[in-house]
Amino acid sequence: MIKKTSACLAALMLFGGPAFAQSADSGRLLASNCFQCHGTNGRPSVSGFDRLAGASSSEIYSELKEMQGKTVGNDIMKVHARGYTDTQLRAIATYFAAQR
Amino acid sequence: MIDRRKFITLLGSGTLGMLLNGCGGGGGGSSSDTSTGTGGTGAVSPTIPTSSASGRVIVVGGGMAGATAAKFLRLWGGSGLDVTLIERDRQYQSNILSNLVLTGQRSMASLAYTHDKLSSVYGVKVVYGNVAEIDPAGKRVHLADNSSLPYDRLILAPGIAFDTLPGLESAGDRIVHAWQAGPQTVTLQQQIAGMNAGGVFVMTIPKTPYRCPPGPYERACMVADYLKTRKAGAKVIVLDANASIAAEPATFETAFNFTHAGVIEYHSGVTINSIDPSTQTLDTSAGLIRGDVLNPIPPQRAGTIVSNTAGLANVNGRWAGVDVRSYESTALAGIHIIGDANGSTQPKAGHIANAEAKVCADAILRILAGGSPDPEPVTNSACYSPITASTASWLTVVFGYDSATGTMKAVPGAAGEASSATRDNYDDMFVWFNNLMGDTFA
Repeated sequence: MIKKTSACLAALMLFGGPAFAQSADSGRLLASNCFQCHGTNGRPSVSGFDRLAGASSSEIYSELKEMQGKTVGNDIMKVHARGYTDTQLRAIATYFAAQR
Repeated sequence: MIDRRKFITLLGSGTLGMLLNGCGGGGGGSSSDTSTGTGGTGAVSPTIPTSSASGRVIVVGGGMAGATAAKFLRLWGGSGLDVTLIERDRQYQSNILSNLVLTGQRSMASLAYTHDKLSSVYGVKVVYGNVAEIDPAGKRVHLADNSSLPYDRLILAPGIAFDTLPGLESAGDRIVHAWQAGPQTVTLQQQIAGMNAGGVFVMTIPKTPYRCPPGPYERACMVADYLKTRKAGAKVIVLDANASIAAEPATFETAFNFTHAGVIEYHSGVTINSIDPSTQTLDTSAGLIRGDVLNPIPPQRAGTIVSNTAGLANVNGRWAGVDVRSYESTALAGIHIIGDANGSTQPKAGHIANAEAKVCADAILRILAGGSPDPEPVTNSACYSPITASTASWLTVVFGYDSATGTMKAVPGAAGEASSATRDNYDDMFVWFNNLMGDTFA
């Protein structure tokens, strides 16, 4: 638990910061792969798919890990989540947690 | 250090955002025709940050790729970046979901989008006009009205152009491809509606790569679904130049062999020699085939500004070769090509055009700041396809940069299609579509 938190904090220091960081960062560009379905910066235009903006990074991360590991059923996020490494998932989660 | 004016702007936007958020957000998951493309949604409009970034970026083409690039250049680059979008048409007519216009489930107006928010929310300068010529050495774009604009970086997002099929031009409006949503979509819808019982609809699919890999198969399904309840005994004949179904093979094999069995007749490996409009007959590698409605989808290439700019169309003479870390041309420095017009390994479709645009915008911002593009970009392609009037399938692929080949490659395990066409997928299709269009135009 503590280890997970500190990893998130480290990721936050590396990739986090305000919504409009002055320099481009990989968390932002990676997270932009979610915008098409979940809205720009994780704020959907219409309801139906999760709002990611402002969700806790540990929650987003653990849900994505759960989707990656699913062995039964077939849904689009199960396949999609497998496209990212653990580090990338953490960067994505940290980015959305910092959005408001 | 925040100046007073900026502070007020930020505050104002935030308050407005909360108000909009409180009352908006509805309308998702509806299959009705009520959600208009240009109408407002409950999404919060972000504020453009003030920034030290500077430079002039011109984007040519305001479709899925170009609109996304213009938006994200300003959203990420801030107010110091001068972004001009040059576009021919006042409205963008979505190709996505346009097969539902053929069946009368959507109107063209419900699939129309403007560039108004790119301008009003993001501060993109939108210029309506035609590009006459690009001067890569002088870094200027010349317009048809004899004006010209300078750039530091140029993004071309012209979409596709179509080959001429022998006989097709003389057919006028009688035979249309409708592979670019617009007046032809309406023409084709009317032709289908006017078919008689026992009528034959013949469509042809070009060899890959073409725009929207699942699109032709989706069209076959939607036309078949429409005909089976309205025109008894009518048939859809699909002539595919490819050796097999080019996208979502399991989904469409099931659709052709079971869901639409007896209506769709699928033939692979068939190419078109010519079209005879007077007899409504296609001369094909499989012989002469007559149809009451002919819908030949011609082979495609990059939009004309790419072929008209010497050197750019360096992939099979049809598509623009690019470095997929930045989408900069492999032939001409300072020019980036995104969306359907480039010759990358990724599919030609709106969702991934949006993803390419973000990689390109991010790379240009890094380059203008003296840095280099993200060395390991990731993109994704996702798409929902209607199979009947109430069911849909999906596909998804995540692409990662492969340094050994310098191409985007599907990440192992991260590519797949729906196991069956369902009502839930059909509802999700509209959520996906509305959010995608919001991320692109609003």
